[in-house]
Amino acid sequence: MGEVTALNPVLRVAQALQEPKAVTVRRDAAWKLYESLEVPRLEKTDLRRVAWEVGEFEPSDAPVPEAALGYVRELAHSYALVVDGRIREIHLSEEAKEKGVVVTSILEACDAHPEIWNRHFGTIVPAEEAKWTALNMALFAGGLFVLVPRGAELEQPVEVVYVWTGRTFSACSRSLVVTEPLSRLRYAETTFASDGGRFVNSHVLEVFAGQASRVEIATADEWAKGGIHFVTRRAKAGNDAEIDWVVADTSDGQAVETIESALVGQGSRSFARVMGLGHGRAHVEITASMRHVGRHTESEISMNGALRDRANVIFRSCTQIEKGAIGAGSEQHDRMIMVDGTARADAIPMLLIDENDVERCGHAASVGKIDPLQVYYLMSRGIPQSVAVQMIIWGYLRDSVEALPSDAMRDLVVSRVERELAR
Amino acid sequence: MSKPDFVVRGLRVAVEGKEILKGVDLHVRGGEIHAIMGPNGTGKSTLASAIMGHPHYEVTGGEILLDGQNVLEMSVDERARAGLFLAMQYPAEVPGVSNANFIRTALNARRGEGNEMPVLQFHRRLVQKMKELSIDPSFAERYLNEGFSGGEKKRNEILQMAMLEPRIAILDEIDSGLDIDALKIVANGVNQLRSDNIGFLIITHYQRLLNYIVPDVVHVMMQGRIVKSGDAKLAEELEAKGYDWLKQELGIEDETVEVEA
Repeated sequence: MGEVTALNPVLRVAQALQEPKAVTVRRDAAWKLYESLEVPRLEKTDLRRVAWEVGEFEPSDAPVPEAALGYVRELAHSYALVVDGRIREIHLSEEAKEKGVVVTSILEACDAHPEIWNRHFGTIVPAEEAKWTALNMALFAGGLFVLVPRGAELEQPVEVVYVWTGRTFSACSRSLVVTEPLSRLRYAETTFASDGGRFVNSHVLEVFAGQASRVEIATADEWAKGGIHFVTRRAKAGNDAEIDWVVADTSDGQAVETIESALVGQGSRSFARVMGLGHGRAHVEITASMRHVGRHTESEISMNGALRDRANVIFRSCTQIEKGAIGAGSEQHDRMIMVDGTARADAIPMLLIDENDVERCGHAASVGKIDPLQVYYLMSRGIPQSVAVQMIIWGYLRDSVEALPSDAMRDLVVSRVERELAR
Repeated sequence: MSKPDFVVRGLRVAVEGKEILKGVDLHVRGGEIHAIMGPNGTGKSTLASAIMGHPHYEVTGGEILLDGQNVLEMSVDERARAGLFLAMQYPAEVPGVSNANFIRTALNARRGEGNEMPVLQFHRRLVQKMKELSIDPSFAERYLNEGFSGGEKKRNEILQMAMLEPRIAILDEIDSGLDIDALKIVANGVNQLRSDNIGFLIITHYQRLLNYIVPDVVHVMMQGRIVKSGDAKLAEELEAKGYDWLKQELGIEDETVEVEA
């Protein structure tokens, strides 16, 4: 079955990108891993039927869909446009320039910032972790390197807009964000994916929050039908660092997503807010995870989901408190509502605690239908049923949407949610 | 606009197969205030909920007409847009929906497409009405009833009534859980609305509220029926003599119909 290609996929990518040799060496090792690693068994997502096909890489010059282009043109802050894994455009705001923020290609940063690159690249999302992280390391076509210097506090966000045009190969991307001590960054990733393709895509984000720095990471994903999307975003906190996530997912495709804070530094904190709207025949598995390693670390996970059609959405919140993480505190809340009886929701809270001296560790999870008495109440004031239902679902999701870092991003997510609720 | 005309005729209502209302008749016109009194468990709140169309209540007989239109054929939202309003005893909490947004959506639904109230005008009115009801301005942006005290919820119901200007307003135990100051504020809110353009049906357990809102007609409910009607003096008489007096007079032993709450 299939044609024999002259080049193995890694050489193909490496030659097309003309990258530093250090990167190609990593790719090679990762590709061997990818081929040798077993297909993992996920409890809620059957990966046996995934084709694990990667296609043939070629530098993409595919036109950017109108929706994505229109969105990028409206952005007033720093942004990068990444199409099928490769950077098309980088724009830096005056504020970012003044404060010395570096936003460049992750491949170029290997030579331009070797010390930081070598210290961090591939360390918190290593190739060995899973078949899809190995795939990403082997074939990633590009991504961003963002460095915020010591003490620089950025008001406006830095946003990466990823576009998948549905090409005939695995379009993997990978970004690396480093904030030096006492800095502040609001970082965002927004995706526009087109339907089509049976290929496996893997996206990775690594964030390193330096001592007492504060990073907000916001994501607005909408994985489309066709293929499968693996997303691994992880942030590591230094002493007293703070990492906040806002995840707004409106996918209707198949995706396995993880966001995780590794609270390694003493006194570090993280809050993850996840909003998911599943629709169509989406099968989306989102894991929000907090790993407490340092002393007196604190975390909170809040996941709100609403499901339509035949969507199947799995929310897993996982808090891990390692031995030695004395005085750690954590909270989890998962709430999901089924808008249509045909949807399926799983809320899975997990607590893995190896330390006895823990401050607090709470969790709550619920899956239910829209409360008919809420609908009745709104209707009793003259509001039609369909509008009442929309208001209630919006009420459910809005805290996360409002926490997004820019008007553009909020408007985008609002339009995505409204499109699905208005049907 | 003609005076509201609200008729309930032979209304029978069941909950989970058990008949609670066994033929209730009422006629409320614009400008009138009717009070429905009675001990707990006699069907007062069932009447209010059934008129509004609460999903748990099944109408098994009789009719309800508002300005000649058949209310029982309307959905809950259509009833509201036709001019019915129910100030609920236990209004739902709706997180994430702000009070102001809710009231504005409701008001505009009632006014109809193309006739929406301009935003600024809406907010001016809202602020003014909130002030009259001694509601803190921050409540406009708070989530609907979420974390409101019992008294705050009641005042919020009256605020909605004042904003929506219904033709027939039903107040279900609006006085329960209110201290005397809050009671006066709520009563004042009702009295300000009093005109020929609105008729009230006030359901209460105690006569106390009727000191501040003087009714034209007082009905007493027992065993799912109206057993006695009179003027405001009937309420005072009940307060003085208690419901037992009436039970004796009517030869009723057990006045309740509902399962203990």
